[in-house]
Amino acid sequence: MQTDVASGNIDGVGTTLKPFQFRGRFLTALALRLSTAPDARFYEMLADRLEKTPNFFTDAPVIIDLEQSQAEVTPEALTELVADLRRRELAVFGVQGGDEALRAAAAGLGLISVTGGRDAPLRGALPSSEQKRPSRVFQERPPMPEAQPAPAPEPEPAPIPQRVAPENKIVTMPVRSGQTVIADKGDLTVVGPVSSGAELFAAGNIHVYGRMRGRAFAGIDGDENARIFCQSLDAELLAIAGLYRTSDSLGADVRHKMVQIYLEDERLIVAPFG
Amino acid sequence: MSKVIVVTSGKGGVGKTTSSAAISAGLASRGHRTVVIDFDVGLRNLDMIMGCERRVVFDFINVIQGDAKLNQALIRDRRLDNLYVLPTSQTRDKDALTQEGVEKVLNELREEFDYIICDSPAGIERGAQLAMYYADEAVVVTNPEVSSVRDSDRMLGLLSSKTARAERGEEDQIKSHLLLTRFDPKRSGDGEMMSVEDVLEILAIPLLGVIPESPAVLRASNVGVPVILNEKSRAATAYEEAVARLDGEDLPMKIEGEKVPGLMSRLFGRSA
Repeated sequence: MQTDVASGNIDGVGTTLKPFQFRGRFLTALALRLSTAPDARFYEMLADRLEKTPNFFTDAPVIIDLEQSQAEVTPEALTELVADLRRRELAVFGVQGGDEALRAAAAGLGLISVTGGRDAPLRGALPSSEQKRPSRVFQERPPMPEAQPAPAPEPEPAPIPQRVAPENKIVTMPVRSGQTVIADKGDLTVVGPVSSGAELFAAGNIHVYGRMRGRAFAGIDGDENARIFCQSLDAELLAIAGLYRTSDSLGADVRHKMVQIYLEDERLIVAPFG
Repeated sequence: MSKVIVVTSGKGGVGKTTSSAAISAGLASRGHRTVVIDFDVGLRNLDMIMGCERRVVFDFINVIQGDAKLNQALIRDRRLDNLYVLPTSQTRDKDALTQEGVEKVLNELREEFDYIICDSPAGIERGAQLAMYYADEAVVVTNPEVSSVRDSDRMLGLLSSKTARAERGEEDQIKSHLLLTRFDPKRSGDGEMMSVEDVLEILAIPLLGVIPESPAVLRASNVGVPVILNEKSRAATAYEEAVARLDGEDLPMKIEGEKVPGLMSRLFGRSA
């Protein structure tokens, strides 16, 4: 999913090979946002967090976000934090925010000063100091059998480490009230009815071939291109990338119809087929 | 091969105990050695419906805790000599049930009986979970009303995930049947109650029978006789037919004031 901003080879085939090309490249980094200066408790919680999903964090490119805590963090504390993160095999490469002294300290540690970029949506489970956009609600993910990576990667650009094949899931049994089905790395397809009080979660799209009476959350990692497809819509709640609609707001014109649900200009569109 | 059948519903008051009594009496009168166990520890009712409350000395909990032998706790029915009741304790609570204890008692019963009917308590707590845990089949008792249907749906979810068969992940999952009780054809026709078809559409399991709302059910409870053995009534006939289907007979479904749901039940028979 690398996005070519400028291709150096517009002349087509057969021309001489150029010795280099400049290409735009997006990559996903983790931003470690400090709400305060790191103390013993901070390190304890950090160690705890990293242990849960060690593979997720190994060699992960990391930016330290100082925007909320530059007043409290001292250059010494920053040096200590960077050493700690590097010891844990996190590839710290930049800082964001910070005053003159902090940026100087960061440069001394070989870190670049990053501006711009935007945050991926923060999930409800994380202690959030960030104000969520009022129109969005990020449902806390139900507990998973295996530990989960916490910060969602940025939605649009390519994930760098390797391209992971999506892990789609197909369910061929009715999804009953009180049951939760999660496809946390791909699409979810249900062949059968989904009952009222049942929940479907997918990082990608959700398809339901059967009466859909439950709740569906597509694009749970923030993918705004995710869609929900229902053979017969009677859902309690529909959400894509955190933007949701409840059954109250679904008109009679789409009820029991075959529909698709997608995001357009920050609005959740429910469009019948045919 | 003995079969353990749990009679469950999630919601209370839908007719689990009445149905457990009727089903076990029906199976026994068809010649099968049958025992019905009350899993509703602390709210002992089955023995009253079966009319043996004055003969309870030892109970299920005594057997689980090793205070009594199984044979001491089993009460033989006075009307059918191949029907037994294993009553529960009225003074203990559901924590007295242990998984190992339940398994041990069921294994012992499997050696002697063709059918073991487990009368589940309402709710989804320990008692209900243990009642269904070792089941081979389930009879889900539902009233034609939205909250009962939703609770039954929840139970079906638990049956397909929180039972021994589900956990072993075998091909051979619990077979669930729908028993629709307290059905009033007139109110269903008027749209006050859900239709058989509506319920089947949501629950998507094969239909075992539809028991009409009938004063005969209450009269039978009051005298402590399973509906099926008391006076001749529409409810009794409906239970007899449901039991025949549970026992493997292929009877056509007749429901007053409803289109024959044969097609629906056959459709869902495959998908569930």
